[in-house]
Amino acid sequence: MKRVNLVRLTILTLICVLLAGCWDYIEIETLEFVFGLGVDRVTPEYIVILEMVKTSGGGQHAQVEPKVLSTSSGSVSSGGAALSNVAGLRAFWPHAYVFLMSEQVAREGILDAVEYIARSRQVRGTVWVFVTKDCTVEEVFKSKPPVANSVSEHLNAISLMQENISGFIPLQVWELNQDLTKEGISPVLPTIRLVHERGELVPVVEGTAVLKGDRMVGWLDGHESDILCLLKGVFERGFFVINTEVGEHGRFPITYEIVGNQVDIKPLVKDGRPAAAIKLTMQFGVEEVGRAPINFRDMQQTDSVEAQLATHFKDRIRELLHKVQVEFNADVLGIGQLFRRKQPEAWRHFGSDWDVYFPDLPVELEVRCQVVLTGLSSAPLRVRD
Amino acid sequence: MFFWKHTKKGEPQPRGLDDISPSLRTNLHWLKEDIFVHDQTIAYRGFKTSDPHPRECVLIYADNMVKHEYLSQFVLRPMMRSSLPKHLRGEELAHYAAERILESDGAEFITRYSEIGDKLMDGVGVILIDGCPVAVVVDAQGWAKRAVTEPPSESVVRGPRQGFSEDLGVNISLVRLRLSSPNFKTRFLHVGTQSKTRVAILYLDNVTSMELVEEVERRIKAIDIDAVLDSGYIQELIQDSPYSPFPTIGQTERPDVVAAKVLEGRVAVLVDGSPFALTMPYLLVEAFQANEDYYNHWITATFHRLVRYISFFVTTATPAIYIALISYHPQLIPTNLVISISAARKNVPFPGIVEVIAMGLVFEILREGGVRLPRPIGQAISIVGAIVLGDAAVSASLVSAPMIIVVGLTGVAGFVVPSLNDLAVLIRLSLVLLAAALGLYGFVFGVIAFLLLLSSMESFGVPYLSTMTTLVPQDLKDTVVRVPWWQMVLRPRYLASKDRQRLQGQAGRTDR
Repeated sequence: MKRVNLVRLTILTLICVLLAGCWDYIEIETLEFVFGLGVDRVTPEYIVILEMVKTSGGGQHAQVEPKVLSTSSGSVSSGGAALSNVAGLRAFWPHAYVFLMSEQVAREGILDAVEYIARSRQVRGTVWVFVTKDCTVEEVFKSKPPVANSVSEHLNAISLMQENISGFIPLQVWELNQDLTKEGISPVLPTIRLVHERGELVPVVEGTAVLKGDRMVGWLDGHESDILCLLKGVFERGFFVINTEVGEHGRFPITYEIVGNQVDIKPLVKDGRPAAAIKLTMQFGVEEVGRAPINFRDMQQTDSVEAQLATHFKDRIRELLHKVQVEFNADVLGIGQLFRRKQPEAWRHFGSDWDVYFPDLPVELEVRCQVVLTGLSSAPLRVRD
Repeated sequence: MFFWKHTKKGEPQPRGLDDISPSLRTNLHWLKEDIFVHDQTIAYRGFKTSDPHPRECVLIYADNMVKHEYLSQFVLRPMMRSSLPKHLRGEELAHYAAERILESDGAEFITRYSEIGDKLMDGVGVILIDGCPVAVVVDAQGWAKRAVTEPPSESVVRGPRQGFSEDLGVNISLVRLRLSSPNFKTRFLHVGTQSKTRVAILYLDNVTSMELVEEVERRIKAIDIDAVLDSGYIQELIQDSPYSPFPTIGQTERPDVVAAKVLEGRVAVLVDGSPFALTMPYLLVEAFQANEDYYNHWITATFHRLVRYISFFVTTATPAIYIALISYHPQLIPTNLVISISAARKNVPFPGIVEVIAMGLVFEILREGGVRLPRPIGQAISIVGAIVLGDAAVSASLVSAPMIIVVGLTGVAGFVVPSLNDLAVLIRLSLVLLAAALGLYGFVFGVIAFLLLLSSMESFGVPYLSTMTTLVPQDLKDTVVRVPWWQMVLRPRYLASKDRQRLQGQAGRTDR
């Protein structure tokens, strides 16, 4: 009886191991690690570009270098598969950092490209998405970042540092998918452009591509993106150089650092029409005063500075709102989404015609600026005459 | 041997063939021609007591088991210089000799040949007097003994440096020195039909559960084997779950450890000829406890315990997790690491699983090669193995560098929990095979299987995982943490001690 049980147990174990196992045993060195994936468009075909890392050497002399492969194909996935053939190794996607699209792909609609990334088991939802501006995807991948090994690692590092450099809003694929499927919000993607740096082309992440639905409708530059960051509440740290009037001494460029930023957007219904109230409170630190003869211990001067800052930001927010409302008609702040969430009754009424209401949407704007850190423990430096 | 009949004690004894005869010549004849025939280690020293009434006597002893100076000085010399009064008859002769002449401290009287045989092997001298049917036994034990030295298998930085030797009497005295209380009891048993090895059961009368003592005694008495050469025989013959690789009886070479275990309410078994004492019941937590834990500060002791638990996990699981990750789940490894592992494995000809098993085998060969060799040669082997083989193998791309790290880490971590080290190899191997077949799924599968095995085991009626699965503070006090001594109020609950209170200063706290 014991022996029979043992035989049964052995057979069961073998069945578990041989049949139920996930028999996708691989050897790690046969994989080609994809770091970045890019899609460009030359109608009617897609150009799929992969940045991979080539590992070589073995033993104690292992070396890693990036290489860029591209192919044209009818779809993104078939292009990716075709590149395995070119590389001679199996492309391994889960370690990919970035997904790049050219302006043309974005203008024609990103859904075709993004759908594969979202569907794929292998590509992670945490891949950063970018749109290239004034250059092709392949040019970006072939550029030379000064420090990082590969372009993808460079872009990954920049995206992780966003809170310290601002000027763009990093977005991962899963967030993009959410924005695409939600009502009343237009996705924005960070843009990449190439700059010359000592004879080399270096990729720089700055500015924003504004989408309506899945099609790109226009660009915001770095400064506009800063304001967008403020309104979206993703601005952690950043500097603004603002010409500030100091009493009767004239205007001086003073650098302020944002140390705190609270934003509150309220959807309203006024006279049967939708409206919005934006309340922005910002705390500033004074970073650089230069030659400005300003004394922050003087409450009058501080009040004047705060008022000037408020006016400055109010103007720039108005400019941005005008651009996204009138020029793009793209609800980048997700005011429609807020309506849907907070005033579902109203949204049921306006929702279907949001595109019609949005360009003329009246926005009440309240900006409060506070200088909380003067960066000084004594009177500022003065050069004696 | 027809006269070796066992008779029950207490019955009136008719004179039988086993009884010593008053005639010295008859006695010598039986001993030389029958009981000890062809045994040349038995010495017969004939002599006569002095005038006026010389009487023939014989001193019998086993060569090299006695102290010769002792016998000649305190037994032979007084016997030969004095005379036995003429009027004495029979047993009176032996009693007179023991009371008035012999200067040895121990003297017994025996009346049977079979007893002479047993006693001689214990290293005593037996005096037969002509005309006396009683033999006098004098203590003169004196065989080669090893000194009490620090045990090589359990050396400590802080703690007593005494270790058990092979002599049972010495070993018991080492424990008794630490437990100088009349409650410390020792029961003796003889095991082995040929070896007649003395086995001692040690316990504290007012603490240890009597059921436990009886059970240990019952199991040892049930042993029917020809010889017991080391306590390992007893351990294997009486332990629970004999098919499981996990030990259910503890072993130690240190008297302080035995004393501590006995104080907790356990039973210790000492075997003559073995420096390893057995303690029971033995639970899994004890494998992670070291005697130094109790001598050092409790915070550092707790930290070292944690290190031991982590090391056990590392030594059993690292290769399996490594294989699972590189063969099935490269997406779970941080990107930089996966790239560098991939680069390191680029020119390695073997798949990961072959590498793990081959390197594990090499490590075990090196270890086994070094263990039983004299220390200088053993060191040479480890140096050749570690530096030359390891370095050359990586340079020649036979194995990858990460694999050397995994094997090295595994090997070193194994020595942190020495009592489970041999078994860790088996666990490691089975987990590696499962991980190679099923990835992390297989690894978890294996861990669950071992957990089931552990939870099904028990040692002398105590569940093997006791105190690891409880939330009662007094039961947890000596598991992953070692609480300060002033909080170790009670003895372990699972030992069902008669007296659970350890710290008397904490009255009224027995309820926990």
